[in-house]
Amino acid sequence: MRLPRSLQARLGLLLGILLTVLWIAAASVTALILRGEMDEVFDSALQETAQRLLPLAVVDIVGREEDGITQRLGTIREHDELFTYIVRDADGRILLRSHATDVAIFPDYDGPGFHQTATHRLYNEDALQGTVRITVAEPLEHRASVAREIQMGLGLPLLIVVPLALLSIVFAVKASLAPLRRFGERLDARNARDLSPVPDDDIPSEITPVAATLNRLLDRLRAAFDAERSFAANAAHELRTPLAGAIAQAQRLQSETRDHAARARAADIEGTLKRLTRLSEHLMQLTRAEGGQLRLDLCSDLRIVAQLVVEDVARTGAPGRIALKLPETPVMSDLDPDAFGILCRNLVENALRHGSDAAPVDVTLTPDGRLIVANDGPVLPPETLDRLTARFERAGASAGGSGLGLAIVAAIADRIESPLVLRSPRPGTSSGFEASVRLPVGDAKVLSD
Amino acid sequence: MRILLIEDDTVLGAAIRDQIAGDGQSVDWVTRLDAAGDAMAGATYDLVLLDLMLPDGRGIGFLKALRARGDVTPVIILTALDQVSGRIEGLNAGADDYLVKPFDLSELSARIGSVARRYTGNPNPIVSHGALNIDLAARSIHREGKPIALTAREWALFEAFLTRPGQLLSKTQLEEKLYAFDTEVESNTIEVHVSRLRKKLGPQIIETERGMGYRLGKP
Repeated sequence: MRLPRSLQARLGLLLGILLTVLWIAAASVTALILRGEMDEVFDSALQETAQRLLPLAVVDIVGREEDGITQRLGTIREHDELFTYIVRDADGRILLRSHATDVAIFPDYDGPGFHQTATHRLYNEDALQGTVRITVAEPLEHRASVAREIQMGLGLPLLIVVPLALLSIVFAVKASLAPLRRFGERLDARNARDLSPVPDDDIPSEITPVAATLNRLLDRLRAAFDAERSFAANAAHELRTPLAGAIAQAQRLQSETRDHAARARAADIEGTLKRLTRLSEHLMQLTRAEGGQLRLDLCSDLRIVAQLVVEDVARTGAPGRIALKLPETPVMSDLDPDAFGILCRNLVENALRHGSDAAPVDVTLTPDGRLIVANDGPVLPPETLDRLTARFERAGASAGGSGLGLAIVAAIADRIESPLVLRSPRPGTSSGFEASVRLPVGDAKVLSD
Repeated sequence: MRILLIEDDTVLGAAIRDQIAGDGQSVDWVTRLDAAGDAMAGATYDLVLLDLMLPDGRGIGFLKALRARGDVTPVIILTALDQVSGRIEGLNAGADDYLVKPFDLSELSARIGSVARRYTGNPNPIVSHGALNIDLAARSIHREGKPIALTAREWALFEAFLTRPGQLLSKTQLEEKLYAFDTEVESNTIEVHVSRLRKKLGPQIIETERGMGYRLGKP
């Protein structure tokens, strides 16, 4: 048999079974001891009776005129005889018998002391060198019925007390485990991004180490997340500053030199450094997308982030090529604004890089949190679409991306459990490409309740 | 225009300094926040370029303190932190613009011009002065469709007058706008540049108030 998984049910069941078994055992032992004591008392009464009767019988028999007659004592008052007896001589002739004696139950005399037949307990005693022998019999049935009454007396309360005891066990177990259950419910109700300590004020001391360990673990996890965030940020900073210096120097070189060959070289260096910057940035973003915390416990307006990112991308490379549509009302989300920024920037840069120059890139954020980035261009076959989110996969060999942009977006989408939907041609048209992802929106308070 | 550059990376700082100086503006370059505080106490700047991670503190704190003092000098943040949250924090702290490293030096020049124009109250880079059509962003001047070429210094000097019409500018003020602290300025440099401007743009373009300074001539 397998024990139930619930500690409460397990405790209730085990305690109940143990209590019942113990109770039954205790009652049985009591009954056995009582039975032994009772037999002693009954035997003693039997013996006493025989020893009391024998002298009277001897006097009676010796005083008779004729030998060998059986005398049956008359009844003084009508009653049930519990003890019956016969007095016999050495030849087995019956000299005296009590009035209700059934001679058949008495076996032949075989010496003084206790004897037992299938139905009776007997006591033999003799006098006058064994010529007067008395046998007193008591039916075993009598003793059995007394024993039954005692057992009933012990057993009946058991039927009432044991269920009552079981009920109290269930109640006590339930009451004692209530703080534990509350602890479990509180843990169960937490959402994935809640790393605040678990309240451990009213839990039993046995579980306190668990709560303490859990809280330490949550602390460490939070610290690790923070460290990862700041590592990605610091690494980006540490890499970017020297790259920025080198790029700026290469640009100065181009504007200061009059030598065409040197200018072309400096331009090559600048281009390579920029590619290196983009690649290191994307690797950092991918790290950020795959590790760390993407959902925060505070909400921010995604419109502001989308606006900043689009302005930024447009200013540095594509003025007038991006058409941004934002809703009138704030789009509040607990998604980390930096993660959303990374996602948005990569989708927009991807669309600019691969879309046709003739039509603008449409960036739309809907009030319900769907970000749609669409561009015009040739239709991509479905098998290409499937491959696009793989790392270092470029739609066109000459497109010049790092090959990580859509992989980063897909990694973030995966972490927020919302698929990145890629479609080509754009819905409602015969050409182009559209990427859309649904972002978690809503008030943080509402979400965490 | 006089610009304070706060940047601790020497390679990048040198390139930025050369770029701004090449545009004809004067630039003072410091690598620490305490030095930046001293510089701002000793001179008036038209613009501050502020790196965020400096050896003696965070640029954001410097910016907040600046704004808390009521100083409205335009500030452009230069940072290697590209996170959107950092950018929002910077703009909320009172920055006028934000450039993420690495950036193009030409982009930096354009932003400096755009922020400076915003502060003179005329964000439109196209200005006309009499028969002259001036594009401050493109740094070009046309008279009746014909382009006129100015050197970087001449341009910076002309821009200083153009963005403060009617205002009298002393020789010292003009020197400050064109040259950094540690530059040796010849005593007649401003006179030389003014006379070149008059030669290229017409004798009435700049008026002289004897002993006081110069101001932009009436169109």
